[in-house]
Formats: sequence, C-alpha cells, structure tokens
Amino acid sequence: MADLDLVTPATSDEAVAALRTLPPEETAILAGGTDLLFDLEEGRLSARHLLSLRRLPWRTLDWNGPTLTIGSTLPLRTLELDPEVRTRLPGLLEGVRAVGSVALRHRATLGGNLGRSAPASDLVPVLLALDAEVELLGPTGTRTLSVDRFVQGSRRTARGPSELIRAVRIPEARPSAYVLQRVRPFHDISHMAIAVSFSPSDRRWRVAVAGFPPRPILLPEAATFLGGEHPDAPAVLRAAQEITERAPIVADRRASEEYRRQLVRPLLERAVRAATGGGG
Amino acid sequence: MSAHPLRLRVNGRPVELADVPVTERLLDTLRGRLDLKGTKEGCRTGGCGACTVLVDGRSTLSCLTLAQEAAEAEITTIEGVGSDAEGHRVQAAFEAVGAVQCGYCTPGFVMALTGLLKERGAAAPFGEFLEELGGNLCRCTGYGAIVRAAAALRAEAASR
Repeated sequence: MADLDLVTPATSDEAVAALRTLPPEETAILAGGTDLLFDLEEGRLSARHLLSLRRLPWRTLDWNGPTLTIGSTLPLRTLELDPEVRTRLPGLLEGVRAVGSVALRHRATLGGNLGRSAPASDLVPVLLALDAEVELLGPTGTRTLSVDRFVQGSRRTARGPSELIRAVRIPEARPSAYVLQRVRPFHDISHMAIAVSFSPSDRRWRVAVAGFPPRPILLPEAATFLGGEHPDAPAVLRAAQEITERAPIVADRRASEEYRRQLVRPLLERAVRAATGGGG
Repeated sequence: MSAHPLRLRVNGRPVELADVPVTERLLDTLRGRLDLKGTKEGCRTGGCGACTVLVDGRSTLSCLTLAQEAAEAEITTIEGVGSDAEGHRVQAAFEAVGAVQCGYCTPGFVMALTGLLKERGAAAPFGEFLEELGGNLCRCTGYGAIVRAAAALRAEAASR
C-alpha cells in the first residue's frame, strides 16, 4: 500500500489553510481514527493525504447556561465522564456509552462520528433529538447547520470540501434518553435505536429513530402524540403505532424490517420511561 | 514522500525511529520495530481489545491508532506494566484467581483494567469495571475468573 502524506496543523487557521491546498477527493480528515482506520485496513481509503486534527486545541467542553458546546476532537470518553453531562443530558451520555468500548472511546470523537455519518451511528439520533447544531469552519469563516441538515445520508454530509467540523452545540439541557437493541450488551452495533428528548422551553418531545440505512431520522408527527412532559401509556402507544406504521424503516444485513418494526414499541416505552425519570 | 521520523516514550524509555510510514499502526510499531510482542493482534478492527496499551495512561486500541498519532506520547505495554503500581496490582489479581488460560487475550485485559484504575480509581462503581471489560474478548476462560479478579481489585481498593 502506498504511504500517505500526513499534515498536522496546530491552529484553526493552519488547518483551514492546509485544507485549501489539498485536493479534496484525495484528502481524508483524521480525528480519532477509529472508523477511518477500518477503511484503511480494508483497502477502501483512496486518500493520498491525511489531515490530522490531533494538535488542534479543539478538545473542549463548555457549558454556558443551558447550552453545551463540544469541541469536535474531544474524546468521547471525556464527554461521558463530565458530571454535568451525566445529569443534564442523560440521553447524550447513553449515546456516547453505546459507542464501541472504553478504550475505543479514549480516541473516538463526536466530530468524527458526525463527519463519518454511519447509518447506525449512536450519536446522530441523540444529537437529532437534542436539536444539536454543527459548527463548520471554512476559508470564509464559520457557518452553523442543524444536525438534521448536516447529515444527508449514509456516509454523506453537508460538509464542504474545504470545511472542518469545529464544534457541536446542544442548545439546552433536557430530559432525554437513548435506548437500543443489539446482540451483545457492550461494544456492538444497534439493530434499532430510539432517542427522545423533552424541551423545557417549547414543552415538546423530539423522537429520532436509528439503526437502519440510510440515516437516523427525526419523527415530528410521532413526537406530537407524546403530548406533554409526562406522557401516559396510551400516548406512548399511539406514538409507537405511528412510528411502526409510517416510519421509513428498512431491512439491512443486521436485521429485518419486520423485526425492527416490532422493536419500536418496547424501545419507545423504555426511552420515555428513562427520560421521565422512571429508569430505562 | 519524505521520511516520517517518530519519537515516543515506551515503558519509560525514549524511542526514536527514523522513518515510520503514516499508515503504520502503533500495534505494528510495537511488535515489529520494538519487538514488544506481548501486545497481541486479534481482530485488527477494534473489536477484541487484545491490542490494548496505555497511551498517556489511557487504555487505547493500538490497532486503531496510527503510530504517528502517538508522537511524543508515553506508551505503556504489558512488558512495562509490572513496574507500574496499578499495573502490578492487576497482574497480581489475575494471578491470584487464575484468570488466565491460553493467555492470548490477557495482556489486553491487564492493560484495560490498569487504564481504568488510573483513570477512575479503584473505587469506581463495579459497573465501570464490567464496562471496561466489555471491550475485551476471551475465548477460553468464560470470563468468570477475570470478573473475579476485577471484583478483588475493587474490594482491595475499597479497604485501603
């Protein structure tokens, strides 16, 4: 295998400048590398240049009132050990803990997970349910996109060729949960997953489903069936029926469509119970 | 392509290598160039934990880490873990309950638990020990003795 050329900028300006000089179709962005190296191993990485983000001062976690801003290269493990994340964004904590193993999360990053945008990402559904935004840094400055607009499909995003994911912003602390079905309890990929959150500012639920291609999706109609802060059993059942009957759930090599649709109700019940303080 | 020199500290000693390709994994540098064959290659895709080492004290999968990304870092492998206080305790706990059969996965388990003790302290909830162990596969012990070793480590720390 031909070797790659490695660029390791130390500042945001250097990173953007370096990216402008590299041919986009031959350049891969390296954050934690836990997904990218998989492609390298399988011979699927066609890049000739590697732009490593490891020296950038982006491993940050900042609470500003209710808002959390997470630097894109912060290791997921650091995020999960933040005591405020544990109490104020429990759904985010559960999404992070679902990614790989502890050792993997010492390297894996939120920016990398978003940038790679795998259909079974555990973090994209949580970020969707939390109305998170992505801050992109490019030659003309920064722009901000909702995660819903940023993630376009299986391994497709709205990141421009000369842009880098700088940070992810979660607008407010929320009751939230992430539950998933997988074969093994640790370190496995989901067959089906549901993320929920309840916004204290607009008093509405968000529901996202994930685990199947092409990408995790928000289901606003189902969320309206949940109603107010403490949905009763019939409300959860109606929301689950809406998802089971209408969500664009499909089969892939990990699970059949029928199995996934059957998982909707128990997963949604667990998610709402966990988010409303009843335990998962 | 120009040469890619690499400087690391491995088990407390400085290591300087003249040219390490960008695509080379830390696992291959340790085993192939430094002859530290205690770190094992299992799945090579981050699924088994056999290649776990410490990078700046944190459990890290050396199969999913480019050697160049560990530049200037402090690496601890199974060969060096015995001179580390936490590492020695983990080794002793494994020995006491016989948590080893074929031994192939053992270095990875020892490094993972050593990393957890360093990061969280031995008084971390036992669930955190199990979560850490969840990243490592063993095909012969059935995990029972390994979990007992972890439980003993936690009990020992709680009694200090």
